[in-house]
Amino acid sequence: MSTQSSRFEFDPGFEDDRLRVAWYAVVGVFVAVGAYATYLRITGGMATTNLTSIVPWGAWVAFYIYFVGLSAGAFLVSTMANVFEVEGMHRIDRDALFAAIISMAVALLFVWIDLGRMDRMYFPFIWRQLTSALSWEVHAYVAYIGILVTELYFSMRIDLARIAQRTSGLRQTFYAALALGRLDTSEGSQSFDQRWLKRAGIVGIPLAIFMVHGGTGVLFAVSKARPYWNSGLFPVIFVISALLSGTALVMVVYVLRTRLFDGDSVDPDLLDRLAQLLIGFIIVDAALTAIETFIAIASVHPHEIETWQVIMYGPMSWSFWWFMIGFSWVFPMVLLSKRSWRRTPAVMVLTGLSVVIGIIAVRFNIVVPAQVMPVMEGLPHGSYFPTLVEWGTSVGMIGVGLLLYTLGAETLPLTPLTGGDH
Amino acid sequence: MSTTDDNTLPGIPNVGKADLDAMVENERPDPREELADVEADTDLGIAMAEDAQRVARGELSGDEYWEKYDEAAGAEFGEAYQETPNPAVDAGDQTVSTETAESLSCAVGSMDTVATESAQVEGEEPDGGIGAGDEKWGMVIDLQKCVGCDSCTVACKSENRTPPGVSYNVVMEEEHGEFPNVTRTNVPRPCMQCDNPPCVQVCPVSATYKMDDGVVNIDYDRCIGCRYCIIACPYGARYFDFGENYDDEVDEAGEVTSPEYGVDRGPREEGKSPIGNIRKCSFCTHRLERGEEPACVETCVGDARNMGDLENPDSDVAQMANSSRAFQLKEDEGTDPNVYYLK
Repeated sequence: MSTQSSRFEFDPGFEDDRLRVAWYAVVGVFVAVGAYATYLRITGGMATTNLTSIVPWGAWVAFYIYFVGLSAGAFLVSTMANVFEVEGMHRIDRDALFAAIISMAVALLFVWIDLGRMDRMYFPFIWRQLTSALSWEVHAYVAYIGILVTELYFSMRIDLARIAQRTSGLRQTFYAALALGRLDTSEGSQSFDQRWLKRAGIVGIPLAIFMVHGGTGVLFAVSKARPYWNSGLFPVIFVISALLSGTALVMVVYVLRTRLFDGDSVDPDLLDRLAQLLIGFIIVDAALTAIETFIAIASVHPHEIETWQVIMYGPMSWSFWWFMIGFSWVFPMVLLSKRSWRRTPAVMVLTGLSVVIGIIAVRFNIVVPAQVMPVMEGLPHGSYFPTLVEWGTSVGMIGVGLLLYTLGAETLPLTPLTGGDH
Repeated sequence: MSTTDDNTLPGIPNVGKADLDAMVENERPDPREELADVEADTDLGIAMAEDAQRVARGELSGDEYWEKYDEAAGAEFGEAYQETPNPAVDAGDQTVSTETAESLSCAVGSMDTVATESAQVEGEEPDGGIGAGDEKWGMVIDLQKCVGCDSCTVACKSENRTPPGVSYNVVMEEEHGEFPNVTRTNVPRPCMQCDNPPCVQVCPVSATYKMDDGVVNIDYDRCIGCRYCIIACPYGARYFDFGENYDDEVDEAGEVTSPEYGVDRGPREEGKSPIGNIRKCSFCTHRLERGEEPACVETCVGDARNMGDLENPDSDVAQMANSSRAFQLKEDEGTDPNVYYLK
């Protein structure tokens, strides 16, 4: 094995040092802004938000479901490699898993800051409610993070062992610890890892689809008081739009990390495969959303009609037309339409970013409009736009996610040392 | 009319003091005649009354008075005297010294303590604390009687001392039709205390729950402030406490808080529950527990709001809730509110 290990080159991190400094500076600004905004949030309480008793859920909840969706989507992309063994996908297995873990951590930060009593964040683990989707969700999230970490471990363990064998001192201790001391790099140990990776993935797939993200959709769909959410198709659309955003994220991460960290060229076949997946998800997402809208409008239920009027023609309709329709469906579809564009990394990064940003608007358009309409005639209408504190804390928590991802990408063998398929 | 009085004020008719005293004396009933009508000894009664006047004038002490008459009163009234608390013995401000009081043959102790003791014998302590009563509380609001004055909203705010942005009760006012054919409906909206409450269903920590008496409780010590229940409530009856207060309007507005759900939380302080929690109408549980109606019911100028036991078929609310005029808000939601309205 020692002769084999010399063939592997492990040099993670930015290729370009100036880019590294610039990137950390940007992330540092995000985190600093977030830290100050969080200070204002903690000292000023919930009064620092534009939330009211009429619109009690806002930007933080929208970002929370957004990041849960990103995570579930990225995870499901990873299972194409490690469960369904789709050819050529192993290259992005760890990228997808690591992005899923970070997204989930960010999602939980958003849940935390949204609590009226942040100091009681552990209460759902002490007291429960069987009929509460939210009570189930917090447990599903913990189990899901456990599955993700387990999967990343089994996916990456052999490379951690290889690195530990080639380094010494503190670095060796670090990588050996991450490998949990299992430093065997034999074929046998590798197939053991792959077996368990697949098992964890098989448990993780229903967990991610039905509990983590489907469940988050259920959390909204059970609210009979809000007809806009109260539909059986709603959790399904949640999962599809999660797949859409997750695939887009994995595509962006794959291209950027391969180019900027590994200094390799992007595999056009893999890129094309991800791009075709994206096309499929956009079509399903748009079609199901159209069906949902049609059913809502055909019901002629005043609450449904008025909510859709708020979405399409209200003061925030720009987010629906430009971001939801434009950035997450139309613009990426145009860029995905030509085979040569699908194989061009720069175009696909643009496509992926467009979707990743567009889905944010999808999440806002899920959370806010249903609360603008009063639950009873005679009660006041709501209106909501986040305050600077809400934006600032959101930027900060996203910054924390970017920072954690970058630190991980600079230290962990996210690209398989053998270069691709096991 | 006398004009010799010195203290005459211009324009004010002077009535002589002596004339007034004569008038009073003329009206005063004759004590002997009055006491002749009762069985008790007339001479003793008159003697005690005259000496009581001397005690009032300070010519005789309370101790001397009671020592003088204790034996005679005991002989005259027997058990009725011995088992009655002495009205002169009062916590704090008694007119007889403790030593003397103890030497008397009548039961010692103030009216207060004896009243409390007898009350405890009659009604035993309820088991299970707040909300465990046998009643099933319900409210019936007669929309024909509601004038839309918002007194209930104001009474509720002052009773429960709710902060800005939190109003357990609101009156939804709707105008229908076009001038001149306009009608107006006022629908007061407290918490419906639903039998199938969606808020209870969604709470991830079971901080909100149904009590035996039908009232939906919120445990401020457990609520994490996720606001899922506000989302779930079909009546908009739940509010988030953002920590605002009326300090600009009233000095030390947060010094007094309401003992909601029977818990006294002391002054309102930053970062302390219920700030950061969900709040809503509790049917004034703390008032119900001490036998009072909710503030909104008590204050209603048109007597439109009624509170009572829905499970007692003879109660006013049960009969009203069963009348053909009765309906609930959003009946098809399946929430089965315990607030009924009369069309």
